[in-house]
Amino acid sequence: MNWKSLVVPLALVVCASAFAEDAKITNAAIEQAAAEVVADEAQVPEQPEQAEEATDEVKPTTPTTEELAGKLESFGEAFTEMRNQLENLNRMRITGYLQAQYVNDERSTNELTGPAATRNLDQFSVRRARLKFTYQFSPTSRFVLQPDITSSGVVLKDGYVEFTEPWTTWKHTLTAGQFNWPFGFEIMYSSSSREVPERSRVVRTLFPGERDRGVMLSGLGLGDRLSYRVAIVNGTGTAQSFDFNKRKDLVGRLGYSFGAVDVGASVYRGSDLVTTSFNAKGIEFDKERQGIDVQWATPIQGLGLRGEYITGKQAPSSGTTRSVSQDVEGWYFYAIKNLGTRHQIVVRADDYDPDTNIANNAVRTINPSYIFHWDANSKVMASYEFIETEANDPDDNVFTLRYQYSF
Amino acid sequence: MKKILTAILTAAVALPLFAAKPVTIKGSDTMVIMNARLAETFMAKMPGTIIQVTGGGSGVGIAALINGTTDVAASSRPIKASEVDKLKARFATPGYAYPIARDGLSVYLNTANAVKELTLAQIRDIYLGKVTNWKEVGGKDALIILYSRENSSGTYTYFKDNVLMGRDFSPRAQTLQGTAAVVNAVANDPNGIGYGGAAYAKGIKFAAVKKDAKSPAILPSLETVRSGQYPISRYLYLYTRVKPAKEMKSFLDWAVGPEGQEIVTKVGYFPVK
Repeated sequence: MNWKSLVVPLALVVCASAFAEDAKITNAAIEQAAAEVVADEAQVPEQPEQAEEATDEVKPTTPTTEELAGKLESFGEAFTEMRNQLENLNRMRITGYLQAQYVNDERSTNELTGPAATRNLDQFSVRRARLKFTYQFSPTSRFVLQPDITSSGVVLKDGYVEFTEPWTTWKHTLTAGQFNWPFGFEIMYSSSSREVPERSRVVRTLFPGERDRGVMLSGLGLGDRLSYRVAIVNGTGTAQSFDFNKRKDLVGRLGYSFGAVDVGASVYRGSDLVTTSFNAKGIEFDKERQGIDVQWATPIQGLGLRGEYITGKQAPSSGTTRSVSQDVEGWYFYAIKNLGTRHQIVVRADDYDPDTNIANNAVRTINPSYIFHWDANSKVMASYEFIETEANDPDDNVFTLRYQYSF
Repeated sequence: MKKILTAILTAAVALPLFAAKPVTIKGSDTMVIMNARLAETFMAKMPGTIIQVTGGGSGVGIAALINGTTDVAASSRPIKASEVDKLKARFATPGYAYPIARDGLSVYLNTANAVKELTLAQIRDIYLGKVTNWKEVGGKDALIILYSRENSSGTYTYFKDNVLMGRDFSPRAQTLQGTAAVVNAVANDPNGIGYGGAAYAKGIKFAAVKKDAKSPAILPSLETVRSGQYPISRYLYLYTRVKPAKEMKSFLDWAVGPEGQEIVTKVGYFPVK
């Protein structure tokens, strides 16, 4: 039996499909393949007649050039189809991280009822479990969805679409949906990268949830040194699904990079509708913040310093007897030292004064942390918060041991 | 026997402490052959020094530099502002850039293609999908087959930013892994067009590139790239997280010195000075 006449064409078909990634299948290639088969056949000596008679197998016919061409073409079509599907899949990017932690809080008490702040807080929990879906069909548009899935439920953190103009080097981008307030540094710095468990008190208080709904225009120019972000937002954050007042808030940041030093100036102008003891429907209170932030990669190897100062006006709580907002003020400062590529020692100090016209009500925190980067995806953080309230300082220090995996 | 065991145990514990820590270079596929040649020659000159070179793409190399899994990132494009921000946040450093070669980003054509020269605008229109037939640019009546690189490639980014002016590639462009695959595809396809480093040019021809219709057509060469006449040239970089010291410093100093630059030229790129 002339076995080569069957094996060679089959091998050619298999090889051609395997190498189709790198080589365009052309008629010339097909003709060459067929010619090689014919040439190969010519070189194979005739097998003895006896051996041929000894088998009862059905004799396969040698594929013709047209059959080979058809097979190769079908392989080519299947390959193109698979590649198109793969390219579509590549446009969808999924990233995420999970933070599993144990917290020991001095305020904890064994209690079945009562306010959450006084219940047992010493526990294991999943602090954040984020999945970020990004679909980018072209460089000029992007879809981003980021839910946070924890034992408390599923909350939408980011959900926006972006359009980037392709005509200038600034790449001005319009973002619409739910996104981080473009204010300062710490709000926009991912919780997966932050070197301490939570944001500073001033940021947590003045920008709860760090996000709002609206539209934002942003860009980066002057040799990637100057950046701007300006947004019009509801002003309610994400905790409420409803905007109670007609006015919209304006927030923005202008940043400049000097290389090792980055500076930014931010402003927020808006209002909050708050019920008072004398107006149950609520009245508008000024909601203002202005701040400056600095990040410095110092000449000392692996040492980074960061700071931000924020001042402004904050609406009081519902049912207030006040008719004007409170003057608030706060700051934070980070010192981060890298020891090699795997160890980080961090200290953050922060301060928040909820009413600068009232004495002895500021809260200060010193927060030393140690981070061990196990590999490119996972890290372990041990952190202790010394919390000091100016008047009547309670026992409320917090220890956190956290394991994070990101991808 | 006891002494032998003690000696073996001592050696087992002590040897890793004295073993040279390898310097790792990861990133650009365009640069991987050049980096490997540089590393091989340097290691031969400096016994005991270990330099490991891997590819993956410029974006992959810079990501590895940011997450601390490589000492040096090889990139065929400048580092992006967003990547510098990540580097500053994680390691408190803006990073250090070392241009070690210049490359004339070449446009590959099949040797059978009658087209010899293209303007930048024609190349742009071809890759944007506006020009789809070779006869529109002086060739035969045949569909243009576009070959491109994956989006983690620095070559892809550079070509998109500087030739397509930031616009997106035609969906007809076939994405291939590595410059060698693009060269191979064009070499086997009479109607193919590709782009990549000059050093990979085997079995294909370069298109002479005209800045505009009135400009002369220029082929990538030492003189034309160095003088800036060739319109699509770029630096090839090595990026480090820290200011280089010890073996890394010696290697980088040597790579931009006469001996290193000779290897750069032999591989097919152009010296930085």
